[in-house]
Amino acid sequence: METINEPRPEPSASPDTVPPACGFHLRTLYFYVTEGCNCACRHCWIAPRFEAGSSPTAPSIEFDLFTRIVEQARPLGLNGVKLTGGEPLIHPEFERILAYLAQTKLRVIVETNGMALTPGIAGLIKACANPFVSVSIDGADAVTHDWVRGVEGSFDKALQGIRTLVDVGIRPQVIMSVMGRNRDQMEALVALAAERGASSVKFNIVTPTERGLRMHEAGETLKVEELVKLGEWVERTLIPKAPIRVFHSHPFAFKPLSAMFEKAGGMNRCGIFSIIGVLGNGSYALCGIGESVPELVFGDARTVSLEEVWNTNPVLQEIRQGLPSKLKGICGRCLMNGVCLGSCVAMNYYRHHDLFAPFWFCEDAETAGLFPASRLQPAAA
Amino acid sequence: MSESTVPRANPRIILREEFDDWAVLFDPDTGEGFGIDPVAVFYWKRLDGVRTKSQLLDELRQECTDVPDDAPEHLDAFIARLERRGLLSVDEDAAAES
Repeated sequence: METINEPRPEPSASPDTVPPACGFHLRTLYFYVTEGCNCACRHCWIAPRFEAGSSPTAPSIEFDLFTRIVEQARPLGLNGVKLTGGEPLIHPEFERILAYLAQTKLRVIVETNGMALTPGIAGLIKACANPFVSVSIDGADAVTHDWVRGVEGSFDKALQGIRTLVDVGIRPQVIMSVMGRNRDQMEALVALAAERGASSVKFNIVTPTERGLRMHEAGETLKVEELVKLGEWVERTLIPKAPIRVFHSHPFAFKPLSAMFEKAGGMNRCGIFSIIGVLGNGSYALCGIGESVPELVFGDARTVSLEEVWNTNPVLQEIRQGLPSKLKGICGRCLMNGVCLGSCVAMNYYRHHDLFAPFWFCEDAETAGLFPASRLQPAAA
Repeated sequence: MSESTVPRANPRIILREEFDDWAVLFDPDTGEGFGIDPVAVFYWKRLDGVRTKSQLLDELRQECTDVPDDAPEHLDAFIARLERRGLLSVDEDAAAES
């Protein structure tokens, strides 16, 4: 028997260390190392600048500033760094960043489209502590993937990127964003990922922010009725027979209890209590949403200390004091809100300009009468 | 916990069964929910204040195959956790008196 609303300890957490003044360890820095990307994905939630050439011009964090931020974060409890973007691999000093991180012994997570992966970069990632790499593949064939990514040839390059990783001993996770165009390719994608040496597949749902919002408005994403059915199929049919691990990023309330308690990982929990974002222009932010929502940017890392931001920023303080008790709407009534935390504070704010607004998927599911009744507090009389 | 222990489910607690035979125990007084696996669901439905712990185990063995040898310890732990959360009460002497 498990309390369904108590978060399980994160594997990387070190509860024996004294937390910072705010009471929360900063465990992972999310570096959006560049605001440029060599893809032009239809569904991207932050819409980075397209960079096709070999000399990217989009803002990219300087190496010295990167290292200063990491060193400031270590006394706050840091044990990992996520490198994302845009496309992190087109950062002009990406190899230097990796070489530095390898020396720090911090865990390194890389989110990439795989197109710029070279044996040299793969080797540097491998030299980092317990590295984790995810490669985005949005279709089981080139036509579909390239359509989603907006760049011809990106499918072949992504597969080559996976091969390069596997060759150095890294089995990446393949991530697919599910939409109308590729929904029938999920099973084939799992087979492809397994065949190419991936360790797991994660299915993301296209979020209604930035370009993803335009896809929603154009009817190119799945409706909540379809998403709920799809989630059931993934959990009940696809996952049990998959040759590698498969995760589906629908909210906690839609996950079988057996998936929560019998299998670790893959849960769609907002990490806001233990992460902070750093944008390509050197600003601290809630996460990558800071590129679209200025009020979720917390200051320039060149002029403000990370310790000050982490301990005193009013937005972070408000979130820490308000989650999960102040969550509104369906999230306020959900029995899982202590583990889910509203799924994604950034997205909820983007839609409603309210840190405690409910998650869109759950809101839509409730409206459609599809929210699981077993996971809800009774409605107030 | 003896074999004659008689556990009784708190009648306020609501069992919400899900598609995969797991279930949520919902406590309307605290607003808390607890996830329980299919074996725990089997026990919960029989925590009627009449069956002893020994009888619960006998029924499980009749209904299910491959019941592990340490099933009594699992049942003890389950009952203890339920009791700690106020989801049931136990009467150690009920069976002996009847």
